[in-house]
Amino acid sequence: MYAIKTLLNQYLRFIITVFGIALCVILMLFILSVYKGSADGAVQYIRSSDTDIWVLQNNATNILRNTSLLSSNYGKTLTGIEGIRSASPVLFMLASVKTREHPASIYLAGYDIQSEKGGPPSITEGRNISNDNEIVLDHSFAAKYKIRTGDQVFIKNDTLIVAGLSSGTNMFVLQYAFITLGKAKELFGFSGFVSAYLINTYPGIENEEVINSIKEKIPNSAVFDNSSFLENNNYEVKSGILPLLFIVALIGGIVLTAILSLILTVYVLEQRKDYAIMKALGASAGFIPGMIVKQSLILAGCGMIMALVLFFPLCNLVEKISPEISAVSSFRQVVLVIMGLAVISLISSLIPGLKLRNIYPLEVFQ
Amino acid sequence: MNGSLAQMYSVSKTFNRSGTKTDALHNVSFQANAGELTLLLGPSGSGKTTFLTLLAGLQKPTEGTITIFGKNVKDYSSRELQILRSRHIGFIFQTFYLLDSLTSLENVMLVMKFAGISKNESRVRAEEFLDRFGVKHLGNAYPKTLSQGEKQRVAVARALANGAELILADEPTGSLATQQGMTIVHFLKEAAKTENRCVIIASHDERIKTFADRVLHLSDGEII
Repeated sequence: MYAIKTLLNQYLRFIITVFGIALCVILMLFILSVYKGSADGAVQYIRSSDTDIWVLQNNATNILRNTSLLSSNYGKTLTGIEGIRSASPVLFMLASVKTREHPASIYLAGYDIQSEKGGPPSITEGRNISNDNEIVLDHSFAAKYKIRTGDQVFIKNDTLIVAGLSSGTNMFVLQYAFITLGKAKELFGFSGFVSAYLINTYPGIENEEVINSIKEKIPNSAVFDNSSFLENNNYEVKSGILPLLFIVALIGGIVLTAILSLILTVYVLEQRKDYAIMKALGASAGFIPGMIVKQSLILAGCGMIMALVLFFPLCNLVEKISPEISAVSSFRQVVLVIMGLAVISLISSLIPGLKLRNIYPLEVFQ
Repeated sequence: MNGSLAQMYSVSKTFNRSGTKTDALHNVSFQANAGELTLLLGPSGSGKTTFLTLLAGLQKPTEGTITIFGKNVKDYSSRELQILRSRHIGFIFQTFYLLDSLTSLENVMLVMKFAGISKNESRVRAEEFLDRFGVKHLGNAYPKTLSQGEKQRVAVARALANGAELILADEPTGSLATQQGMTIVHFLKEAAKTENRCVIIASHDERIKTFADRVLHLSDGEII
């Protein structure tokens, strides 16, 4: 009763404090969402590739931050191995696309349109490519550069028509684009190479046996089953983004703790006389500290509610302004932030709680 | 509780401020009896407030012995003293010290919360005491909106509502007009007589003498 009434007594300060807390919570939620969006986007291509085994150049562990070059001739070798149903080549490369406004970098994936292996995970607008003169762009890339289906884009000296837009192909700092394997080789300038082979095995065949056979037949290769390869790529995303996001989230948490501590300390100092009266009138030792904790939790709770109300519209706004920022939120993230906020609230109560020790009931008699 | 609620035996209280010793009370003996209104009369700085705070167990004597409800104050733990103040001692201050963020009713109920009385019972008793002192209609009013006299009535209700046997009033009429002040003292006298409470008023207001069963004159920390 007293806890909330004291807070509402200075309603403007209460609103500003709650707003400050909400901003910190939004920051934390946003960081977690961007992290999830980036991590999911970066590996969605692999996750939805419906591939049993990935074959890359020796020492390559992932397709995000490794270069892999394999001979085009390995395709025949691979299909000759027992248990392999298909071996689809894919050629990855970074390329500069000339749009109407600016040149922009994309991560080109050239794939075999007959087998469709290594193509876009899903098409959100238009259709998939059907010939060498077409390209499918990531939808956020297209939104950022205001490219629509049917538009032309320029890579090196080639002109490609945007046949469709894909989703699940946004890696935050870079986006996938899809062309035919032939066009990719042409752009690459060396027709005898591909980056990886996507292997599918026959049902009932043990991947481990096939992997060993591939390593035997192509010694200069790195071979992974799909889950190991997904894990490798996930690790690359996490090791690249996570430390930065962790530090930003940590700073958000520290700022939030400082705001709450400061505000609660101000309340304690302002209500000093009230607390001295309460002590004189016989308030138990835990009553006033308990009230400070309540106030902290009330402020944090209101901040959390305000943050949740503002977060989703803000995310939509950010995605409109910067379409390449993919923020994916989940119930788990919200629960995590609520738990973090509860801990921050308790920590924030410590300093003002210590101030209470220096308030004496005798003060009301002076 | 009947008879003597608190005793002081040859009590002295010395404050040591920046190396300078000041005797706030010197060799004071006193017995607080139920059903009695005692007036502690003296000018500012005579030791009246120190006297009250010692009796409330808010500080301990430098010399001598104080017993409250039969037990030496030095033998009370902090927790016991807190319970003592919340359940058995009522305070009234010159400047009322109502909590501004709470209504009159909530101010009275808060003390009963400290005493461990249930919310429902607290509400009934708070309303009863506000009614008794003519301010029930102000139950939902905040202290800022009350007159000085109304504030002190709420403060008296707060001091008495938890059933405290020992009522300590520090200059309760100091901020009030004469008539209002005497009304407050009248309420306290009534509480002493009809409810067998022990009321001790520290004041320099000579007019209260007519209500007092006993008057102690304090001067420079000594009863004269």
